[in-house]
Amino acid sequence: MSNKEEILKNIRLHTQETYEMPLITLDAIHYPDKVEQFIQVSKSVGGNAVVLREGEDLNELIRSLYPDAGKSASNVPGIHAAINPDDVRTSQELNGIDLGIVQGVFGVAENGGVWVVQNVKERSLYFISEYLVILIDKDQIVDNMHEAYKKAAFNDYGFGCFISGPSKTADIEQALVVGAHGPKGLTVILR
Amino acid sequence: MDHLAKIGLFIPCYVNAVFPEVGIATYKLLKQLGIDVDYPVDQTCCGQPMANAGFEGKSLPLIHKFNDLFDTYDYVVGPSASCVAFVKENHPHILAAHGQHQCQMSGKIYEVCEFLHDIVKVEKFPGAFPHKVSVHNSCHGVRELHLSSPSELHTPRYSKIKDLLSLKEGVEVFEPQRVDECCGFGGMFAIEEDAVSVQMGKDKLRNHIATGAEYVTGADSSCLMHMQGIARREKLPIQFIHVVEILAAGL
Amino acid sequence: MKKETHIHAAERFLNNKKNAVWHDETLWQTRAKRDRQAALIPEWEQLRELASKIKMHTITHLDHYLEQFAAAAEKNGATVHWAKDAAEHNAIVLQILQQHQATQLVKSKSMLTEECHLNPFLIEKGVDVVESDLGERILQLMDIPPSHIVMPAIHIQREAVGKLFEEKLNTEKGNADPTYLTRAMRKSLRQKFLASTVAMTGANFGIAETGDVVVCTNEGNADMGTSIAKVHIVSMGIEKVIPSHDALSVFVRLLARSATGQPSTSYTSHYQKPQKEGELHIILVDNGRSSILADKDHIQTLKCIRCGACMNTCPVYRRSGGYSYSYFIPGPIGINLGMLKAPKNYYTNLSACTLCFSCNSVCPVQVDLGNQIYKWRQGLDSIGKANRTKKVMSDGMRMMFKQSGIYHAALKAAPLINLMPRALIYCKADKWGIGRELPQFAKQSFNSWWKKEVLKK
Repeated sequence: MSNKEEILKNIRLHTQETYEMPLITLDAIHYPDKVEQFIQVSKSVGGNAVVLREGEDLNELIRSLYPDAGKSASNVPGIHAAINPDDVRTSQELNGIDLGIVQGVFGVAENGGVWVVQNVKERSLYFISEYLVILIDKDQIVDNMHEAYKKAAFNDYGFGCFISGPSKTADIEQALVVGAHGPKGLTVILR
Repeated sequence: MDHLAKIGLFIPCYVNAVFPEVGIATYKLLKQLGIDVDYPVDQTCCGQPMANAGFEGKSLPLIHKFNDLFDTYDYVVGPSASCVAFVKENHPHILAAHGQHQCQMSGKIYEVCEFLHDIVKVEKFPGAFPHKVSVHNSCHGVRELHLSSPSELHTPRYSKIKDLLSLKEGVEVFEPQRVDECCGFGGMFAIEEDAVSVQMGKDKLRNHIATGAEYVTGADSSCLMHMQGIARREKLPIQFIHVVEILAAGL
Repeated sequence: MKKETHIHAAERFLNNKKNAVWHDETLWQTRAKRDRQAALIPEWEQLRELASKIKMHTITHLDHYLEQFAAAAEKNGATVHWAKDAAEHNAIVLQILQQHQATQLVKSKSMLTEECHLNPFLIEKGVDVVESDLGERILQLMDIPPSHIVMPAIHIQREAVGKLFEEKLNTEKGNADPTYLTRAMRKSLRQKFLASTVAMTGANFGIAETGDVVVCTNEGNADMGTSIAKVHIVSMGIEKVIPSHDALSVFVRLLARSATGQPSTSYTSHYQKPQKEGELHIILVDNGRSSILADKDHIQTLKCIRCGACMNTCPVYRRSGGYSYSYFIPGPIGINLGMLKAPKNYYTNLSACTLCFSCNSVCPVQVDLGNQIYKWRQGLDSIGKANRTKKVMSDGMRMMFKQSGIYHAALKAAPLINLMPRALIYCKADKWGIGRELPQFAKQSFNSWWKKEVLKK
């Protein structure tokens, strides 16, 4: 008997009373102003979210947010960046990127998360960049995670992540430090 | 409530020996409210100390005795949340585990505060108690008898003890930080894990004292006894009084 | 070797007063943050209820969901391995490393690999195991185990970390600033990440319908590891499978709020397929879990999502520290899991509970932790591990309380104890008296009062 069969047999042998799957219907939280809620939570989790104003230039906005960023990387059409991450041979080559600018799919008002699916050759870009900018459409914000998971889909890369704020840790005496291994700062631009 | 109802007074063992005044206050208050109260003198203990220590079986004869003594009453009322909770929550399953009859007590036993609040529905207590008190929300009172909303749950806030105290003239009510954190009594825990138990008690007392209250009050004399022991050892400026003593003050 | 009991270890922990106060206060703050986050979600209690029901359903249909999960994962291109126990799990990991001639393994935090003692096994085989969660890495460099499942190094003070990093990472002498130290580790581990060809993570959830594995971290270490290395090994307990993304939405809303009081972890990563030209290995580990299904008193432990909220709220854990428990998972859930693993090894943890039931009320999946501890205590006598003093006391009480006559005589005699010399009362045998004054027996018991004042009238 294979391991798999043995484990399944043991499970069947020991399972006693069974329980029904509940209906997941609940009146989950909604916000009067999803964009405002998203911005507030993003800030509370150590990140930032800004709305691109009418007539404002996206590249200039990014530059004003990260004026000191040296090497930037992006494959988003129309974004000025030093490197197209689709051109690198290995993920290691992305080490040293100051600013990654990536496209997200949608945001979640309740926790400031942004659903990002891999759409660059090396997904390390999302994590290895010193700072990260995620672009989403401002009408692409859902209220809560129930709505989020109804909407979240994978592409052929088979990797997706809700990113809520920058990388952080509190492992030394519970003192919050932003920028543990991943980005030291994160801005979501709503356009 | 039906004023013809017969009430059996349940005075837990340690209240009987150490805090008889709590039992007396309970009796006088119920009597004053026009309730027919009786005290079956042969009662002893509900069996909680042994069961919590891991010896449910040893509490079985006490459970039988308890049932026999209180069988004929419409309500059983006692001034100790933890003991009442034990009868209510644990007597049924201990009896069932030993293949015994259904437990009648569980449905008719009340902690005295609960009884006054939910059954008698008192509107005003006589006399006054012009003092500052800090309410001790004991674990079994809160999380088993639901005397107040547990701080962990996101449910509407309420406190039956505070409701009752508001019906007594002069009482100024406070609650400590960490409003329903355990004081560290826990029955045999107090003896077995004495270092943690005493530390918990000290921390709890610091929070009670910080409210500026003169008294710590609660529905569990056992918690009060533990904290009182520490307060006396540490010479801390705080006194202890059961809720029912406050409600009965002046009788 | 006889392990130290919780009682003694707790006493030692409390002797370091400053540290003990800090530990209690810091974890209480985490509980308070959890309360504030819960309060922002009106449907919080409904979520807990749903989460509990989904888990009860899943673990009682575990064969079905595991097969569905494995089939979906394989269809996505993952390799699914089944391990009956820790040894098999460890052997599978080693085999994968050998296939890739990997001498280094970057890991993100996984309590399951801790349970399987994977690290010492691999190190003995010559693998450079690198824990990448900051707390875990600190502990690895100190060569000590975690003391909390979410905040593994919660018991370590910044000065100790500073000293450690001076030695291991050449940081400035005397600099104990958390940001400075975190940055130093970031730099050091970045090199390890870049050099790694195989990365390992645990799993918070496995989704049966879609076959993806979900990992939640704040540091981004799981993603840093698995996005650079092309081979990803997931170590996943069989109870971590849940039916769907719809079900996942319930757990994701509860997990970080309960664990650390955050609305979400920074990263909630879904690994569905291997990287291009890479491999994704998922090891499904039983290691005793399937047997727990038959234990109706303790089956609910299988609902646990390892958030650590029960530790943060436990008044005993906060005042005794993770090391005071002999099982590697401390606190209320650890007491129960230890007993399920080996009662004779871990029964001494059972004393670490006042039955306050706060754990039951914070648990996001409504595990009846306190009730289970009560039940374990009932079984101790039958395995010959009952505390003798407690047994003698319980016997004595039963004797006294069974017969009203003896009880009444004792009630009358009790006040005499008040007159006994202090030395006799506060002798070593009476542990009540070490930190507390004894209660004063009343001159007249309620019984006597009743007979005199009510019956005689």
